[in-house]
Amino acid sequence: MPDKQKAARKAASPDKEEVRVGVYTCHCGGNISHVVQCERVAKALGKMPDVVVARTDPSFCSDAGQAIIEQDIQELGINRVVIGACAPSLHEQTFRNTVTRAGLNPYLYHHVGIREQDSWVHDGDPEGATEKAVRLMAAGLAKARLLTPLEPIRLGAEKGALVIGGGVAGLRAALDIAHQGIRVTLVEKSPFLGGRMAQLESIFPTDEEPRQLLHALIEQAAAHPSITILTGAEVTAVSGYVGNFNLQVTQHERGLSEELAEALLAACEQEAPDNFNYGLTRRKVVYRPYPGCYPSTPAVDWEHYDGRPIQVDGKAVVLKDKPQVHALTVGAIVLATGFNPYEPRQGEYGYGEITEVVTLPQLIRILAQVPQGEPLIWNGHPVRDVALIHCVGSREIEGVHTPQDDGQVNNYCSRVCCTASLHTALELRRRFPEINLYELYQDIRTYGRGHEEIYNQAQSAMVHFLRYRGEKQPEVAAAPPGDTHPALVRVVDTLTYGEEIEVPVDLVVLAVGMMPSPIDALVDMLKVSRGNDRFLLEVHPKLRPVEMAVRGIVLAGTAQGPMNIQESLSAASAAAAKVAALLGQGRVELPPFVARVDESKCDGTGACVEACQEEGAIALQTFQENGHEVRRAVVTPANCTGCGACVGVCPKRAIDVQAWTLAQYEAMVDALAMDIPAFAEAEK
Amino acid sequence: MENLHVDALVLGGGIAGMQAALDLADQGFQVALLEREPSIGGKMITLSKVFPTLDCCSCITTPKMSAVAHHPNIHLLTYCEMQSVAETGSGFRLAVVQKPRYVDVNKCTGCRKCEYECPVTLPSPFDRGLGAYRAIRVPFSTAVPQTAVLDIENCILCGKCEKVCAAGAVDFTQRAETFEIQATTLVVASGFELTPLNAKKEYGGETLQNVIDPLMMERFLAPTGPYGRVLRPGDGKEPTSIAYVQCAGSRDQTLGVEYCSRVCCMYAIKQAMLISGALPMADITIYYMDIRTFGKGYEQFYQNAQAMGVEFVRGKVAAIREDDEQNPVVKVELTEEGRIIERTFDLVVLSLGMVPTAGADGILSLPLGEDKFIAIPAPNANPCETARPGIFVTGTAMGPMDIVDSIITAGSVASAASAYIREHQKETAYA
Amino acid sequence: MSEAKTNPPSRGELLKQLREEHASSVERTQVLFREQRSLQQSICQMIRETPKTVPEIAAAIGKPSHEVLWFLAGLRKYGIVVEAGMCGDYPLYQKVEEK
Ligand SMILES: Cc1cc2nc3c(=O)[nH]c(=O)nc-3n(C[C@H](O)[C@H](O)[C@H](O)COP(=O)(O)OP(=O)(O)OC[C@H]3O[C@@H](n4cnc5c(N)ncnc54)[C@H](O)[C@@H]3O)c2cc1C
Ligand SMILES: Cc1cc2nc3c(=O)[nH]c(=O)nc-3n(C[C@H](O)[C@H](O)[C@H](O)COP(=O)(O)OP(=O)(O)OC[C@H]3O[C@@H](n4cnc5c(N)ncnc54)[C@H](O)[C@@H]3O)c2cc1C
Ligand code: SF4
Ligand code: SF4
Repeated sequence: MPDKQKAARKAASPDKEEVRVGVYTCHCGGNISHVVQCERVAKALGKMPDVVVARTDPSFCSDAGQAIIEQDIQELGINRVVIGACAPSLHEQTFRNTVTRAGLNPYLYHHVGIREQDSWVHDGDPEGATEKAVRLMAAGLAKARLLTPLEPIRLGAEKGALVIGGGVAGLRAALDIAHQGIRVTLVEKSPFLGGRMAQLESIFPTDEEPRQLLHALIEQAAAHPSITILTGAEVTAVSGYVGNFNLQVTQHERGLSEELAEALLAACEQEAPDNFNYGLTRRKVVYRPYPGCYPSTPAVDWEHYDGRPIQVDGKAVVLKDKPQVHALTVGAIVLATGFNPYEPRQGEYGYGEITEVVTLPQLIRILAQVPQGEPLIWNGHPVRDVALIHCVGSREIEGVHTPQDDGQVNNYCSRVCCTASLHTALELRRRFPEINLYELYQDIRTYGRGHEEIYNQAQSAMVHFLRYRGEKQPEVAAAPPGDTHPALVRVVDTLTYGEEIEVPVDLVVLAVGMMPSPIDALVDMLKVSRGNDRFLLEVHPKLRPVEMAVRGIVLAGTAQGPMNIQESLSAASAAAAKVAALLGQGRVELPPFVARVDESKCDGTGACVEACQEEGAIALQTFQENGHEVRRAVVTPANCTGCGACVGVCPKRAIDVQAWTLAQYEAMVDALAMDIPAFAEAEK
Repeated sequence: MENLHVDALVLGGGIAGMQAALDLADQGFQVALLEREPSIGGKMITLSKVFPTLDCCSCITTPKMSAVAHHPNIHLLTYCEMQSVAETGSGFRLAVVQKPRYVDVNKCTGCRKCEYECPVTLPSPFDRGLGAYRAIRVPFSTAVPQTAVLDIENCILCGKCEKVCAAGAVDFTQRAETFEIQATTLVVASGFELTPLNAKKEYGGETLQNVIDPLMMERFLAPTGPYGRVLRPGDGKEPTSIAYVQCAGSRDQTLGVEYCSRVCCMYAIKQAMLISGALPMADITIYYMDIRTFGKGYEQFYQNAQAMGVEFVRGKVAAIREDDEQNPVVKVELTEEGRIIERTFDLVVLSLGMVPTAGADGILSLPLGEDKFIAIPAPNANPCETARPGIFVTGTAMGPMDIVDSIITAGSVASAASAYIREHQKETAYA
Repeated sequence: MSEAKTNPPSRGELLKQLREEHASSVERTQVLFREQRSLQQSICQMIRETPKTVPEIAAAIGKPSHEVLWFLAGLRKYGIVVEAGMCGDYPLYQKVEEK
């Protein structure tokens, strides 16, 4: 054994505690053992110094597997545990709990990833992968010898949550959290609550009136004593960490006093595009999006209001936005920022060029404005034939579809558009029985409860189905002058064995998919991650499906990916359950992997303070010692992310990240670089 | 058995029930988890790898099972049947039977000596009947609890197990015991069953040995499977051509199943990918009407399978027969070509759908939807509430869904149930 | 409750009761067990010396292949039989030598 190693081992046991290591190499149900010869790894490790026992198991994470480790700790006096298994992100916590149950400090355990870092990436080379596993495990062992017991950082947690986004998901999350006795602040960017659901008229699968359902939710939220609602507001600054996030919320002025509101609404003359109707109509800049909205006080469209005075009762009133800044401290944050319908490119299926081409959300708003019983007229023509094209802005194929301006290709399915489109087709059929309806689709994805029934009804209702292939999209063109219809849709229909069919139509409806709301600023402030599809990314779809990698931040609704209302509600409630579990106790625990200053070595050079990027994580403080003033670096563990920037710059080597000390790294590197004879020795 | 008083009782220990119990217990509520099988884990623990991440399934499931077993707020009750339920004004009172294991749970170490000694071999339901276990056994290697259970109906009472057990755990004097659980709220997580293999006679399921159900294929692909590799059950041949028949038992009004089972497109694609890994020479054909890969990351998964060479053919399978060599012959209408062809495969997997597990709904008098799953009166407002106040539902008991969605609904039910508990316990405290 | 007053039945009584209650299933299972034993024995006999495939064993002992495969799965699980290479598309099975 090299001397260095001996010295290191001595250092590990200053109080003469004998280091007794248990080494466990997991088959991972074949994931590892199909490539790595786990028994050989165990045998090699078993011969290394301080290893008392080295075992393998089909899956150590199973109850039986964990029991083996517990038993070893209790019966063999194992006091350091090394487990070679999947990535630590998956089961490090599982094994910390195992070790704790057996009475050992949870930080006397080290996890070595030999699946993601070995078996999965070397599956053609069992011999090499096995050697690599031995080295990785030996490094883990080297580190484990130097592990010391640590305690998590325990902090009081603010029993309050911030919900960002006041759509159906945000509202549900706010209510569910409040029901658990936790204060909630709900921040909605627009001046009104309800999100996209308010723009729908009748929702599948129940044919309910969406605004009525929303209202029930909003009423409860508004009446709840622990919920504060801030509309026209956005988060503008964030600091802190789980349990203690400090936020700045900037809220636009409502602009109108209660008394003058109605009069101003009546008197206002300036107009702007009505985004509630997706720009199809115009409305005043002092407005209510729809009757019965919440809050009921009209709002001012600050973006479009030109500052001209409005005449009320002979007075000229000039509206002023004086944004108000609120400071909040909360323990957890719920992201419920929702989605935007995909906006087709100029010219995509004729959108923006042919006036007969609209999107499905637009059609829903158009239909809302046609009184029941009256015919559907578009561009002055009665509508006789309508084509609905599925998957616009969804299921795009690299190399076939034109990427968006930033190069993005939406290769995901938006999941609601098939059902929404068929549901709307049925609505068209009900109200305008004479219209011919064509659905141009790739696959009909009516997957949910009560959805297939809508598909079947559409088939019985004589909706014509034309099936295209993703690589061969339909084409939309303006009809030549004098044609019976203003537009033409051409499609290669696989249902008629690939015949090219031309359908003359009066209206083309693009069933556009979902895109995440533009929340770049928020994503940057919160340091959360997004997936390739640019929706917010959960930690793991099965293990932690509503949590983000930043602790204390959870996800609700379509901010995470396409969902319908029922799914958004479920996700929101699931997020609320996580918040309740996190904040219920009024305190949180943070991992102890933070910087620690060795007081005997620190002489207050302050290089660490300069190197640190985190606010309030490290500072120089003056102490009185033996009548002298000394300056030393002091870490505030809660603010330290354990990045280690300070470790590298300290000239005295006085600072280390707990559980990842320089001495541990050195020991690991030595083990990794173990020479081949040593390896062969271990192999014998 | 002692009577229990808890805040919530979760019925069913599949992934949905386990997650709901954990989410409630993490909030500090006392939870009883009642499972009628000898181990928790549900269908999920029988799967090989799971879409969309292709994690090995036991890596996701077994730690959850373990967490349930060790949670200080969870009372785990396995091999128990709910007999009856009464409303008490402050919640529900259940009469529950603990079925006899003939093994003392506290003494059994799960060493399986008894199992090795037992002379009676039986088809193991864990392996869909294609593998074997003994009349006394630990149900499967990762079972929780790791306790043997004796199947008295298939036992010859030879007593070998009792003799060989070093812990003295085998106990032929055990009898069923009835006890009572009081709970403020109930969460139903009774899960799903696969459409019976023989539901559609034309497909020859159950009569043709090499026409199998998809859970069998899951077992073949699992490292602990009955053959330790993919073989066809008819004669142990390694298949080189495999067909999947989508919507077998779903979206079929002749079977009275109008709905889409929502997971079968994805599991077929997943299995196709896993088979391609296990048997690189095999060609795999998937006959489908619509491919429904609607979940997060699922479309990409579908595209990957296409890139790997899995053949997706739009076609309606009319019938399956067998040739003289036990090879299934699939008669299929190729809807994109307007032809009917016959093609011979080594093995056919029917992508069967989900039907609800019967039982719990009857005892709890829960109204069902037209699809026979537990009815949810207001899905767009309260997605986990049944028609009976205080009773909630999660996972596939509320309709077909995959694991991701089951876990989400479990979190959701935990929120709904905990709000109900707080509200209700407040009320009854004042009353 | 009235039963609390009577003495609990003895172990002997309980066992007797169990035998009586399950008399018919025990009898049925015994028949099954004997069949199983003889079949397992003939399978093991077949593959003691040379490994064989499922169809080979099935033809030799005159049983359907799927049944033979089921038995082999069980024998393999309990370590009595192991796989011993492939013959074409069929794995070969062999009896483990007894120690
Ligand atoms: C055409 C169409 C038809 C549909 N029909 C149906 C149907 O019939 N049935 C059904 O179940 N589902 C339907 N859906 C789906 C349904 O609309 C969504 O599931 C639902 O609206 C999602 O709610 P949400 O709260 O997640 O998001 P949203 O409704 O988008 O709400 C998000 C909220 O967050 C706010 N916000 C965004 N960014 C910020 C920020 N930075 N700070 C503060 N606030 C912010 C937004 O202003 C918005 O109010 C349909 C969808 C479409 C496109
Ligand atoms: C072939 C196949 C492959 C699949 N692959 C995947 C995949 O790769 N990825 C994925 O996400 N999903 C997959 N799924 C779907 C997945 O299996 C389900 O989503 C999931 O298992 C549902 O879990 P559950 O808890 O709702 O139901 P179950 O697993 O059915 O659990 C229900 C539990 O309740 C118990 N129970 C029932 N009634 C009672 C009662 N009265 N009293 C007490 N206990 C009771 C049962 O014994 C059972 O343990 C697959 C499904 C199939 C069929
Ligand atoms: S739901 Fe239907 S229309 Fe929407 S992207 Fe998916 S397949 Fe296309
Ligand atoms: S998920 Fe796919 S195979 Fe299953 S019923 Fe739906 S469409 Fe058919």
